[in-house]
Amino acid sequence: MYIIKKGQVSRIAKELQKDYRMYGPVLEPETQQVMFTRVDDAADIDLGLPLPANPVKSAVFPHFERIMSYVYDRQDGKVDIKPDFDDAPKALFGIRPCDLTGILCLDRFFLGQEFVDEVYRNHRKNIFIVSQTCTEPFAQCFCVCTDSGPGAREGYDLNLTDLGGEYLVEAGSEKGKRLAEKLSLPKSDDSHMREKEKRIDRAVSLFGSIAKENKAWISRVVNRVTTGLIDEKVWEYIGSQCLECGACTYVCPTCSCFNIAEQGTGEDAADRMRTWDSCAYEGYSRMAGGHNPRKPVEDRRNKRFFCKLSYSQSKKYLRPGCVGCGRCAWVCPGDIGLPNVVTYIRREIQK
Amino acid sequence: MNYKPGICTFCGTGCGHLLDVREGEVCGVYPLQNHPVSKGRLCVRGWNIHELLRTNEKIRTPLIRKNGTLMETTYDKAVGVLVDNLSKHAMADAGEIGFLASPRSSNEENFLLMKLARAVFKTNNISLDSDPGHRRSLDVLHRSTGMAGMSGSLEEISKAGFILIAGIDITKQNPIIGSEIHKAGRAGARIVTIDTRNTQIARLSGRFLQVRPGSYKIVMAYMAKVLLDEFLTDPDFIKKHTSGYDGFAAVIRTLGEADVAEKTGVPADDLREVARELARAGTAMAFFSSGISGFDQDTISYIYNLFLMSGKIGREGSGVNPITGINNLQGSYDMGIAPDLLTGFQPISDAAAVDKFSREWGVTLPAAPGRSIYELLSGGGKPRAMVVVEHDESIITNVNEIRDMDFVAYIGSFKNNFMDYAHVVLPIATYVEADGTYTNTGRRVQLSKKKLEPPKGVKPGWRLYSMIAERAGAKWGYGSPAEVMEEIARLTPAYEGISHRRLEGTYGIKWPCNKENPEGTARFNLEGSSKKIPFAPVDSSFRVPQSSDEYPILLLIGEAQHYWHQNNLMKKTNIPLREYNATLLLYPQGYVAVSPENAREIGVRDRSPVKIVSPYGSMEAMVQVTDKVAKNTAYVAYFVHDMITKFFLEHRDVLKRGEDATIPVRIMRV
Repeated sequence: MYIIKKGQVSRIAKELQKDYRMYGPVLEPETQQVMFTRVDDAADIDLGLPLPANPVKSAVFPHFERIMSYVYDRQDGKVDIKPDFDDAPKALFGIRPCDLTGILCLDRFFLGQEFVDEVYRNHRKNIFIVSQTCTEPFAQCFCVCTDSGPGAREGYDLNLTDLGGEYLVEAGSEKGKRLAEKLSLPKSDDSHMREKEKRIDRAVSLFGSIAKENKAWISRVVNRVTTGLIDEKVWEYIGSQCLECGACTYVCPTCSCFNIAEQGTGEDAADRMRTWDSCAYEGYSRMAGGHNPRKPVEDRRNKRFFCKLSYSQSKKYLRPGCVGCGRCAWVCPGDIGLPNVVTYIRREIQK
Repeated sequence: MNYKPGICTFCGTGCGHLLDVREGEVCGVYPLQNHPVSKGRLCVRGWNIHELLRTNEKIRTPLIRKNGTLMETTYDKAVGVLVDNLSKHAMADAGEIGFLASPRSSNEENFLLMKLARAVFKTNNISLDSDPGHRRSLDVLHRSTGMAGMSGSLEEISKAGFILIAGIDITKQNPIIGSEIHKAGRAGARIVTIDTRNTQIARLSGRFLQVRPGSYKIVMAYMAKVLLDEFLTDPDFIKKHTSGYDGFAAVIRTLGEADVAEKTGVPADDLREVARELARAGTAMAFFSSGISGFDQDTISYIYNLFLMSGKIGREGSGVNPITGINNLQGSYDMGIAPDLLTGFQPISDAAAVDKFSREWGVTLPAAPGRSIYELLSGGGKPRAMVVVEHDESIITNVNEIRDMDFVAYIGSFKNNFMDYAHVVLPIATYVEADGTYTNTGRRVQLSKKKLEPPKGVKPGWRLYSMIAERAGAKWGYGSPAEVMEEIARLTPAYEGISHRRLEGTYGIKWPCNKENPEGTARFNLEGSSKKIPFAPVDSSFRVPQSSDEYPILLLIGEAQHYWHQNNLMKKTNIPLREYNATLLLYPQGYVAVSPENAREIGVRDRSPVKIVSPYGSMEAMVQVTDKVAKNTAYVAYFVHDMITKFFLEHRDVLKRGEDATIPVRIMRV
């Protein structure tokens, strides 16, 4: 493990920029909104910014992208198909533990099962992740309920922890170690690790006074969500408030559903586009022929929270599908972000 | 930074978003957290707007019809043909030409189109596409408050103690406003929905009154009467701030109470309680649909008067709020897209206003008000040539008359089947490819900056209109949309203080913005003023549409709710199209929704074919059996081609009643 002076931390980003396309939290100057996005200059990344409004997943699972184009040659009866995978090396700099956990969930969904998603694999194969410990929570955070923060445990190449005047730099992979060595970073000692632990403990202790917006005691509801033994009225109550906008799934670091659509580019040519999709939408679960196994909105909401909170789904992700970032509560027009849903289910259990 | 701030341009809410623009393409969208209206939320349309902006279904080059086929040409040639044809007809009779403007165009574009019609081609025949129902709301509000726009404030919904939602499926039509109302309800506001249909907001309301079709006016009048009878009006407010109360009171006294329950379909006691809740609330807001389907003017006047007599206008957290369904519907009226209006609701009949415009433009403007294209097409005149901009619906009415015209020019960014009738097609840049301002339903004028280059060679609307004007001999010489706004500000009192420079980096300014209100106007305000505003004139006919033994079912026409189903922009997307077309897939010939009781009587089940017979005609559709409609009312979605182009044209007078439009019908099994 290593140490880097606070003012020097941009050296890591600058070094990465030589080989990687850089992504990190930046402030949109006009609206002062923090967005996690691609930057031309690593110097634009600001580690001190709050949790970005958007999830980091867009770097490996973009909102909207072309994945293939094809041209049909009528005369020869042949189709020229060109896959369009984005395999550029990317460095995700300064991501928070919740977002990192989200990527690990996506990995297990897209890569960890019998079917491997080529589009995702190409995005993912040359990624360098620099995560950072949250030494203070934000108002909407509840990662302590979902075991995804305030410190990262796995999945990073380098992890930074602000120790005051310096950052502790932990290498989580060979790649990370090589970079630290290349920059000749001084080695840390046990006191630094102890200081990190202290700072994580302090961050946890601050949840009560700072992270006031959301609480989600998810362990209490996993059993009920898994067995489905929840009064239908609870789902109807939740469903009645759903405006079917899809926002909760779009902002969720672990939501992985997508739609495929062909976009004509000429008489005999088209682009195949892939875009985020959402179980909130009625058309999402409609089958050919018109049957919809999840037609009422409450059945679709039920499905989403099964994905986030059931034990069956946790077996696939090796953890719950919620990472406690609080974004769904930000964007939900119906005020039924995951923390509120957990509250309603718990209320029913109490009864 | 690849995320660029902007405004969503689907509905009239005017939500803020960040567009992900990379290498000249829109790759995604994200809500804007600090936006005062949307506060980090978007709806299904807004979340997928990149699909529209990335569509290949754009018009990329000027086209001209040769031997029946549209062929590629240059702007120069196409504009030449357009000017020759319009001039020829305008010279013969300015009544022969007309302009059909789009409620999606920016303020600057619509202002220039208006100037083109009036100053260059000397006609006042300019009107808005997509039914000018908003006009009725504006007339009522303007007459009383002097402000032709929402009297309340979207940003103050959370401060309203009582919220009345009348005849608007608001969580579908303007979802983010619906969200704001729902959140206010969760925080303790009393939400009451009055509707013929059981909508989502009805289910989320503290009280829902399912009224009979055509009875909204009586509902409002009766509640006014309750306030009067039970001394629940705000007498101090009425005395200090209003005029004409006695006249209004005299009219509502004529309302017979005995048959209110029968006419409205809800117990009179329920209406009494709602009236009392309204009176006792410290602050209250009313929301109703304005635009695609709105109430008739009398119903709007009753809503307005009800709120005025209870003192719920002119203070924080209160107001009467018509909600526009299309992004710049409000702005289009602000820009004078109407046969009898100049900008900012200045009437053509006002000689001083006409004189101001004539001097600014250096021309003599036509003095008599014009007519709308649809009035002209349905027999009110003989339009021979017209210009259509960005037709919003993919269904076109009056096709035979349009086909018979000598000349049709279509101007727009996105392909539309109106092009089939056009002799000349001129592409313009989309809203992300040019600077422009848009005015939301809450009078908020917002600047949308250019974020990417238009397709090669495509001109922005303001440049194209300048080119047309100059070809016709006018000297315009605008250098940018900002210069157009400077002219708008000079001519329009409500926009006096608005400029692109002032709007840049802000979330907009709510008009009126002038010397008295340099920062704009949150709401129509009476607090601390001695201003008196009049009650709206109303009539005392309290008839409701009657069914008969022969035609026992009252058919409602749902326009607003299904507006997006046949919207031209929606057809260029994938996910929103899929969501809005779900109903169309299930019911390919359209559907008529009937109650389970009626379905049993007719002997049909869901998706059975039926014939709908009215005194004027008949059509076939499938039946949808649902408890969302009450017994002996049926509801037909307004999005099926044959219904709109054939059946409903026979009922045009009925349709003018908007949300209250009903047709007595008989429904039969086939």
